[in-house]
Amino acid sequence: MDSLYSILRFISKALNLVAGVTLTLMMFLTVADVSLRAAGHPIIGTYEIVALSLAVVIGFGIPKVSLDKGHVIMEFLLEKLSPRGKDVMNTFTRLLVIMLFLFIGYNLLNVGAEFHASGEVSPTIKLPFYPVAYGVAVCCFLECFVFIFEIVRIWRGQYE
Amino acid sequence: MNEVTVGIISLALLLLIFSTGIELGFGMAIVGFVGFGYLNGWSSAMNLISRDIFDVITNYGYTVFPLFLLMGQIGFNAGIAVRLYNAADKFVGHIPGGLAMATVIGATGFKAICGSAAATAATFASVAIPEMDRYGYSKTLSTGIVATVGSLGCIIPPSVTLIIMGILTEQSIGQLFLAGIIPGLLIAALFIAIIYGWAKINPAIAPRGMRSTWKERGRSLPEIFWVLLVFCLVVGGIMQGYFTPTEAGAVGTFAVLLLTVIKRDMTFKKYVSSVSESLRTAGMLLMLIAGSAIFGHFIAVTNIPQKTADWVVTLPVNRYIIMILICFVFEIGGSFIDDLAFLILATPIFYPAALKLGFPPLWFGIVICVVAMIGVVIPPVAICVFVVKNITKVPIGQIYKGVTPFLISLILVWGLLFLIPQMVLWLPSVFFK
Repeated sequence: MDSLYSILRFISKALNLVAGVTLTLMMFLTVADVSLRAAGHPIIGTYEIVALSLAVVIGFGIPKVSLDKGHVIMEFLLEKLSPRGKDVMNTFTRLLVIMLFLFIGYNLLNVGAEFHASGEVSPTIKLPFYPVAYGVAVCCFLECFVFIFEIVRIWRGQYE
Repeated sequence: MNEVTVGIISLALLLLIFSTGIELGFGMAIVGFVGFGYLNGWSSAMNLISRDIFDVITNYGYTVFPLFLLMGQIGFNAGIAVRLYNAADKFVGHIPGGLAMATVIGATGFKAICGSAAATAATFASVAIPEMDRYGYSKTLSTGIVATVGSLGCIIPPSVTLIIMGILTEQSIGQLFLAGIIPGLLIAALFIAIIYGWAKINPAIAPRGMRSTWKERGRSLPEIFWVLLVFCLVVGGIMQGYFTPTEAGAVGTFAVLLLTVIKRDMTFKKYVSSVSESLRTAGMLLMLIAGSAIFGHFIAVTNIPQKTADWVVTLPVNRYIIMILICFVFEIGGSFIDDLAFLILATPIFYPAALKLGFPPLWFGIVICVVAMIGVVIPPVAICVFVVKNITKVPIGQIYKGVTPFLISLILVWGLLFLIPQMVLWLPSVFFK
């Protein structure tokens, strides 16, 4: 189980790296576009590339945010529970979130399939939308694994 | 059950699910999904959650968040805040309470490039408090001011809170940035006045520091100049229509990165750390926004925002009283959940009511952001106070005691906004004719 958790951490870190590189490229591309626009030669399609890059930045970055417990939670009521009560409550919320991301991931696969079938692309440089939908769906399933491991860690007494 | 009843039950369910310790964004998505499914059918609800998530994370408008967050993190990791504090210290450190005033001036300057309240509180807790300790400042004053200055990031541009407000209420982010300048500077000035008055009444709490020579002061000026230049580039660029907010974020980030690399303040490791922290905060924020988008679509189906707006205008009460009550809802909700999360959740519900009552959208945005400023320093969820406590190990009760006088100035400015709305509306009216 520990080695599986290490693999999950490794994948999340790798995806986070891709998200970080994408954010950096997003910045440089936008600056280049602004500079060249001032000279009368804007980079065509920057708007679309930057918008779709956000999916990579956020979608690929989310598993690491969840692993690092970077989301906002309201914990002052949870803190009043006994350790066993906290474990039960945390397991319950993890299960809810797993179901949520399973639904989202499954439906994003459908959305991706619809985009693929209809050939939907961005208006200017014709970037296809379906790889983005598929990519984010995969990240949603990875997010499910993050929360499954959280449940395992809760009942192993390793969850803080 | 009619739509409104379902909506009201769902709002209660939302508070219940928040109390289970679930991630707030995911909680909003779950309740929104269930409510929408109940009213419109489950296949529509399935479609809604995937479409909303996809729309949020491929929306050009939201690319502004990671870029502005990265700009602030680069400034934070490159030590810009420290040098701004040192520069301010050279000018005011020798007067009673001078080091605390330098904290306010340094933080106000740092806010010009960093929109994070917690990052500012963390920086100044590590830098300014040890310096104030060295000169024998009271811990109540030093921790109180450091915990409070972080809140300035809610309205001094380029504030992430203002960007969120702009997106939620479909207002110009550039106009909101301008609208936040006068109240933000007034609050900073009031902080300084309170420190001066406090130090005059009780000189033992804030002894004088060393007086710097004019040569030393002159040498510290370039630091202020560069930050002002980046600020003018970002805010001026949006104002003049040269950039979209996303482009301003990218250009500002690039300028800060270039500046810190040239000055050898930025290493590859620091850059990686900046990107990593930006991704973390951006991910957290966009999940909140995606959750609120799903919940918002459900709430729109229940007609609650419209009915609230219709009901509010029929109340036989002065509209300012209603607005004060709305602010209390934000304050109480934000105190128990999280100010930013509650702002994202509640703004779409109350904004139509504020418009129907005849309040200008810009004014509403700034008033609610000042309410959020108060929220980040009052219990039980006071993020800036927690940051200062973790770094300094000073008891939380003592920090709250130090925060109280500054809290009064925040409440005073909030009240002034009701009396003199031009504080908010004047600058945008001058630059956006």
